[in-house]
Amino acid sequence: MKRLSHTLILLPLLLGAGCGDSDTASASGAWVWDLSDVVPPPRVPEDNPMSEAKVELGRFLFYDTKLSENQTQSCGSCHQQKLAFTDGLAQAKGSTGQEHPRSSMSVANAGYAASLTWANPAVVQLERQALVPMFGTDPVELGMEGLEDELLRRLRDDERYPEMFAEAFPKEPDPISLDSITKAIAAFQRALTSFNSRYDRWNEEGDETALTASERRGMTLFFGGDTAQGATDALECFHCHGGFLFSQAVDHDGNEFNQQTFFNNGLYNLDADGSYPKGNEGLFDITDDPADKGKFKPPSLRNIAVTAPYMHDGSIATLEEVVEHYARGGRLLESGDGKDNPNKSNFLRGFKINAQEKEDLIAFLRALTDNELLTNPAFSDPFAE
Amino acid sequence: MKRLVTWMTLSALALGCGDGSSSSQQVELAFAAMVGAEPFVCGQEYSDLGADGASLVLSDFRFYVQEVELKNSAGTWVPLVLDENKFQSGNVALLDFCGDIGTEEMNERAVGTVPAGQYDGLRFKMGVPFEINHANHSTAPSPLNLTSLFWNWQGGYKFLRIDSGQFSANDWRMHLGSTGCEGDAQAGGVTSCANSNRVEVEWDTFDADANTVVADYAALVDGATLGDDQAADVGCMAKPTDTDCGPLFQNLGLPFGGQPGGTQSFFSAE
Repeated sequence: MKRLSHTLILLPLLLGAGCGDSDTASASGAWVWDLSDVVPPPRVPEDNPMSEAKVELGRFLFYDTKLSENQTQSCGSCHQQKLAFTDGLAQAKGSTGQEHPRSSMSVANAGYAASLTWANPAVVQLERQALVPMFGTDPVELGMEGLEDELLRRLRDDERYPEMFAEAFPKEPDPISLDSITKAIAAFQRALTSFNSRYDRWNEEGDETALTASERRGMTLFFGGDTAQGATDALECFHCHGGFLFSQAVDHDGNEFNQQTFFNNGLYNLDADGSYPKGNEGLFDITDDPADKGKFKPPSLRNIAVTAPYMHDGSIATLEEVVEHYARGGRLLESGDGKDNPNKSNFLRGFKINAQEKEDLIAFLRALTDNELLTNPAFSDPFAE
Repeated sequence: MKRLVTWMTLSALALGCGDGSSSSQQVELAFAAMVGAEPFVCGQEYSDLGADGASLVLSDFRFYVQEVELKNSAGTWVPLVLDENKFQSGNVALLDFCGDIGTEEMNERAVGTVPAGQYDGLRFKMGVPFEINHANHSTAPSPLNLTSLFWNWQGGYKFLRIDSGQFSANDWRMHLGSTGCEGDAQAGGVTSCANSNRVEVEWDTFDADANTVVADYAALVDGATLGDDQAADVGCMAKPTDTDCGPLFQNLGLPFGGQPGGTQSFFSAE
């Protein structure tokens, strides 16, 4: 009875608040991805359909420092558009200055991740992942733990958000909620697709002029071609970094399988178990299986030229050094030779590559940069001057 | 100090039908937090804790219980059907002995109904049932909507949270939830967890009228080194690789680090 009268009171309010407007918005505001035939759309959860209004709300929330306790950081602080949504740091820094053990991952194409973050098989949906930086304490990122009421108050008191939430969630009687926040941010991230590199022009549109001769040679090496030494598929890059995402750990709309993958690429080898530095051992930190020590998700290589430094802990500074790392088949440190790590992927056999080939391969990796992503106003910080 | 309120309600009111089982009775199950022999008071310093005799001031002491059941005179375990309120949802209740972070009020009881009768035993689990644990937290009702109890890295809740300090380097914390969880993008969430980490408590003799469920912090940290953190995380974050967790898991009766689970000593009936 109580609920009924509540609804009856609300109904005229909703009508008065511009149902007509939101109807028009949804008719013209259905979200459509601008994707080529070779790229499937991301998987969209049934309870979070895409709309233009939701993506736009998600963009504002993504860049809003109201999402951090001390209002100094937003998602966009560690995921900056000009760096393909990374931060240029070896290890991220949270709003309280606490250092994260890991390097900020690009959130471009995050909607295609089989699992999110560097090595966590449990986090598989952007809506749920968003709660980690907001409320996590080990380490503190946005530092909002226990402050959900304060967060909602900040957004309700804002002059812009009540209308934006109502448009993005027209069926919700109380649209400003934690659920709506995570859904809008997730929708924005699903909209953040990045498939407009010169490689894509060559691949999808058959534009032969899109790649230079050097880049095409590098592409051949990347995808298993012979080296000057006559070795076939010596580089083995595409086994982990293949497919439209340039990562095998992919999910999308039509995917029927769990394609989570985690590999050890020989960065460390601290003891007989192949240990990595404590507390940052990848999949092992979740499973406690020594065979999982040092296993991390192969990240997408799209926009890789603008997302230095590299690896889960940012411990390799340049693409040149990355290629040298793989050519050696593991990293030699005083603490141990990663090349001999017992968990190392058998795709890391090491290879011989001459100076020209190295240059070609890196040229190809640089051709995976989508400059439109880095400047597209639809993905930009709405609070920036 | 009478905690148990028992009265009869007509089944017509309680169940909406006259099926012959004439009545139900309300049960108010009392919980208390202790530190050894002393009652726990939030913000008070306790000394001589753990293997290294550490002193700590706690700022948070909370846990969820699920599937509370009483044993009737026929020896059958009967669910305590919890009232719906801000500390209880479905078959889950939150006990809170600090009321500091996240919630302001404390809660030292679980309240619900059982069919009228005599009951002489109690069992429950410290935890949140799998289906609720891994559902969408952002739409969950109270007390499952407290971000300070979200355990997002495993897509679940912290079943137990006991913190000292306010996030300084010298803090010591115990956060417990399911670990080793795996998800699937198609399923949209967690599908299984290798370590449930739900603490099972069962007492054949327990009088809800007279007894209290006591959670003893001193018993929880017995044998643990609190002053010298060995792993990367502060205190025990229940990670299977967190070497600070061993004694705590043992005291909770949970398997850890290849050691099988045993009898828990954190909870006692008094």
